[in-house]
Amino acid sequence: MTTAAIEVDDIRFSYGNIEAVKGLSFQVAPGEILGFLGPNGAGKSTTIKILTGQLTPSSGGARVLGIDVTADDPEMQAQIGVCFEEKNLYESMSGAENLRFFAGLYGLRDIDTDSLLRRVGLADRAKDRVKSYSKGMRQRLMMARALVNAPKVLFLDEPTDGLDPVSSQAIRKMIKEEAERGAAVLLTTHDMMEADELSDRVAFLNDGRLYALDTPESLKLAHGKRAVRVRTRSDSGVREESLALDDPMSGERLKEVLSSDGLLTVHTEEATLEAIFIEMTGRGLEG
Amino acid sequence: MSSRKATSRLTIISWIVRKDLKEYGRDRLWAFLTALVLVAVVALFWVLPDDVDESITIGFSGLGEPAAARLLGDAGDAGLRFVQAADAEQLRAVVAGDLVAWSGPDGFSLLEPDADGPEGASKQPVAIGLAFPPDFESATAAGETTRVDVLVGGDVPPELRSTVEGIVKEMAYGIAGIPLPIDTSNPDEIFVVLGEDRVGDQVTARESFRPMFVFLVLMMEMFVMSSLIAKEIQDRTVTALLVTPARTGDILAAKGISGALSGLVQAVILLLAIDSFGRRPLLVLTLMALGAVMVSGTAMIAGSAGKDFIGTMFYGMVFMIPLLIPAFAALFPGSASVWIRALPSYPLIEGLVGAITYGDGWVESGPRVLTLAAWCVALFGIGWVVLKRRVESI
Repeated sequence: MTTAAIEVDDIRFSYGNIEAVKGLSFQVAPGEILGFLGPNGAGKSTTIKILTGQLTPSSGGARVLGIDVTADDPEMQAQIGVCFEEKNLYESMSGAENLRFFAGLYGLRDIDTDSLLRRVGLADRAKDRVKSYSKGMRQRLMMARALVNAPKVLFLDEPTDGLDPVSSQAIRKMIKEEAERGAAVLLTTHDMMEADELSDRVAFLNDGRLYALDTPESLKLAHGKRAVRVRTRSDSGVREESLALDDPMSGERLKEVLSSDGLLTVHTEEATLEAIFIEMTGRGLEG
Repeated sequence: MSSRKATSRLTIISWIVRKDLKEYGRDRLWAFLTALVLVAVVALFWVLPDDVDESITIGFSGLGEPAAARLLGDAGDAGLRFVQAADAEQLRAVVAGDLVAWSGPDGFSLLEPDADGPEGASKQPVAIGLAFPPDFESATAAGETTRVDVLVGGDVPPELRSTVEGIVKEMAYGIAGIPLPIDTSNPDEIFVVLGEDRVGDQVTARESFRPMFVFLVLMMEMFVMSSLIAKEIQDRTVTALLVTPARTGDILAAKGISGALSGLVQAVILLLAIDSFGRRPLLVLTLMALGAVMVSGTAMIAGSAGKDFIGTMFYGMVFMIPLLIPAFAALFPGSASVWIRALPSYPLIEGLVGAITYGDGWVESGPRVLTLAAWCVALFGIGWVVLKRRVESI
């Protein structure tokens, strides 16, 4: 059995009287991408802050790469990479200087910044100061910074939030590559499509609680309708109907439709992650 | 490929220090203001007068030949110079500035304000005039009461007016032939000077301002560092540091070193430019290093407290105004009040004045250095705690 890169056991955290995290427990294996889904205030960022040693849980325990996150052990920080939601880069320094500086903190000498910047599509802007970068470029640089120490665990807090499709796609590609390299990835996002595309498992978080933790496929199978929606054209016009897969009558009808010349489209009626989230938590992901 | 090496605390701190100094150098506003203040204070220092006129010129009228000759013969004695006017009317014009006294190789000349003075002569301001009555000598000799009008300019301080009153009385005794009841024939036996005698070695305006200029440079460093600290907090870049092997203590140490280093470098440049290392370079350098550490501590407090640029400046001023007071006090002669002596910057200013102006050595400056070091520890410690709490609260 593979040892978990991230182990979380019933952690709780409060901001004053407000309990932001209410007993979360989960694990992330090396090479696995866990999508953390939830609306603002669900406790996603607080959980990442606890796991990266920025906050201390009021109860429960968590280990990253076998190291207690409350131990303030630089050895843990040396092996993790964090991409923050806010663009906290040194703006008066160039992209390459930012990377060199952070590499220095990890004790890395002669870091190949060109290669990292090429990976995020910023090689031609390596010497430009960050203050001249667009939002998408800054986010890509943040991603490169998170990878500067080739981390074994990646914490990505809304890495594609508000980005154009090209930048988003570039970052998604990198996340997949890092997981293939063997890094455990904890990804928080609002974007259900992104979570579906990237995550090996997704966790539904709302109001500091975990509502579900499973693969997207399993969740969709468990919560979706076993039905197909078909559209056909006949003399009387275009007709759309839903055919339940468990109904023997529908099976006959489906065979008939599939063999007819008037078939236009066939879609499964599996649930989307968003619909499942709403069904389970009673609220949407936005806001 | 990159090679991973174990990161020591020193390596992490040095990376952050280099980063801080790079950011400082690239901040156009602060870089410009720093250069401006350095250039301005150096220029101002060399423009300020480097000498002190220790004599007072007093005009007189109405005395006959023997007494007048004696007064004029006393020129320069005890810091007094006398210039004779033809009559009370002319004396009044001299004191009022309607006539100008020129002092040259051939004595004094009284000329109209717009007239050119004699070759090699210099203007001598006459702020006090003694208008003796025509019968002054005969009346005093006869033991009769007489009157001398003392004409003073509006800006003559009260203590000088009292001094002149004493001079007039002494002159009356002398002319009347009445000996004074005390022996004033040898001033060296009258004045018992405690400490080093500064007569003839008065502090010039340039010297008086020297500690003020040095402190202005340290003040700039305080503003720059507090601004950089506040920016690090506001931009949340400090959070990015804390998820690396860098610990809070490394960041705080780096801020302190960056602040002290930049302040010390600027102070050394200034002290070199205003020729202040001559007599006690090591002592001056020690004092400046401690001063730079002290203002680094205040920069940590101001940088933690300020929510934005204006807030940081406000908190910076709250600290710097009291710290500037001893530098202002050094502009004026006399002992500083007890509350001024209690300010953290007092031992720094007193130490600089002593070392640079009077050439005090380590023995004389020892207590000041120790007091300043204690203040450094206190302020830097408070700054450390405040900034640590701020960083950990993000």
